[in-house]
Amino acid sequence: MAALLRAVRVGRALRGLGGAVAIPPATHLQCSSLRRGFQSSLLRLQDESKSDRPPAPSSTTYHEHYQAHSSEQDPTAASQEGSAAEPEAEEASRSNTSYQDQSGEQGEEYETEDQLQARILTAALEFVPLHGWSMEAIASGAETLGLSSASTGMFHNGSGDLVLHFIAQCNSQLTEILAEQHKQVQLGHAEAKKTADFLRDAVETRLRMHIPYIETWPQAMSILLLPHNIPDSLKHLSTLVDDIWYYAGDRSTDMNWYTKRAALTGIYNTTELVMVQDSSQDFQETWNFLDNRIQDVVNMASTAKQVQSTGEAVVQGLMGAAVTLKNLTGMNQRR
Amino acid sequence: MQRAVRTASLDWSRLVGPALTRQCSKCRAPLLVSARPYSVIPPPRDAEERDMLHRVLRVDHAGEYGANRIYAGQMAVLGRSRTGPLIQEMWDQEKKHLAKFDEILAENRVRPTALLPLWNVAGFVLGASTALLGKEGAMACTVAVEESIAEHYNSQIRALMEEDPERYTELLKVIKEFRDDELEHHDTGLEHDAESLPGFWLLKNAIQLGCKAAIYVSQRV
Repeated sequence: MAALLRAVRVGRALRGLGGAVAIPPATHLQCSSLRRGFQSSLLRLQDESKSDRPPAPSSTTYHEHYQAHSSEQDPTAASQEGSAAEPEAEEASRSNTSYQDQSGEQGEEYETEDQLQARILTAALEFVPLHGWSMEAIASGAETLGLSSASTGMFHNGSGDLVLHFIAQCNSQLTEILAEQHKQVQLGHAEAKKTADFLRDAVETRLRMHIPYIETWPQAMSILLLPHNIPDSLKHLSTLVDDIWYYAGDRSTDMNWYTKRAALTGIYNTTELVMVQDSSQDFQETWNFLDNRIQDVVNMASTAKQVQSTGEAVVQGLMGAAVTLKNLTGMNQRR
Repeated sequence: MQRAVRTASLDWSRLVGPALTRQCSKCRAPLLVSARPYSVIPPPRDAEERDMLHRVLRVDHAGEYGANRIYAGQMAVLGRSRTGPLIQEMWDQEKKHLAKFDEILAENRVRPTALLPLWNVAGFVLGASTALLGKEGAMACTVAVEESIAEHYNSQIRALMEEDPERYTELLKVIKEFRDDELEHHDTGLEHDAESLPGFWLLKNAIQLGCKAAIYVSQRV
């Protein structure tokens, strides 16, 4: 309750700051729509408090949409607040805004196409072990939500959409976990891990999310390699690697930025490949492989440092030799 | 009112932070970082603004890095001459600028330009080769480069002012301060006989053309 009131105050401040934001034309503008969504939800809360209705039922409607987005359930009010903004955040170019009815689940609910697609794809994931990453899985998923299987017509990229949705979901789960760990370290409740251990844990956590779908994962990987899916899959991969390095503590602003990310991309991709053909208990061989690759990178980094300091020492030695030669031949003497 | 907004935004960040990272896998975790009350750039409203701000910071960082290397090249040749202390002083100021941009880039998770090794070598070579022409050569190079950089900062200031001067006050303050420093270097160069170099006009225009090309490329790569 206190959180809601605080949010109302914030909403007033936000409205003051950003009242003149025009509706953005592009579709991937979730942040601006996030704020607008927040503002609209806060406006509704204010209307509510004016009409003296209790805001408690809102949490159940928000929760329904929230479940579509992430499998983790966060019981705090803060996340419910955030998830209230989330469904609204998916507003793209639709003009009818998704105001949710406050009287509970019986009321008519509007949601945007993006939200609906996300819900269908999430529901489709449980049929992937059966049907593979295909339109059949999406059709089955749509049917569990009570929609007709013809709603697969919404997905022009079919299996690509499904795989990319799954990957985006995994990446955001990982970011959540890393952010939580980061917070724990900052609060002093946990020790900071060494870089190599951190990277290993992060990659292992991320790859473990593939385990339920490991039988069909080769199919998913080949779908991601299709030309029209490559830009999106590369984008997801690069944000994943950037997030992992950021939480590992990398703040470099020179070529190291690129070399570190390239190294981690290589580690991640090769480990993924090892994982799909690993048949050991709990994928132990994969984690051993991961350990070895990370050790390689760490060794390479320390070798590079050694080479650099050796090189500097050699250059200084050569300069000293040159000066000595000049002295010996009398070239340094002033005439 | 300011404090109320700041505390409100603090609460907001704590409130919405975790949810934002969950949702914004497409629009990036920077929202969590820049939700701090004090930051040089405001939390971006959308992907477009984020790209614009990142491009601005990236090219400025590349510029300061290049200027740093140019002075390093000049010091390598003229370090032990009479103009050594003067060049060293200007170099120290550039180092401060670079440190500031490094900090901003790290804080806001901005990708540095991929051409940094190129600017490393090119800057050093430019500084060293103009310094080989003597003190006037080094000063002429300084004049040309500082003029280009000041012009570039001015156009950025203009663009940001056109967009929304209040939103970008911190960033504008930083850029204005740096632009004033660069203009000071430019005037120092002129004071120390830059114009008396034979072929000054030719050298100056050639260097400025190179700077323009470098800025153009760094904004995109």
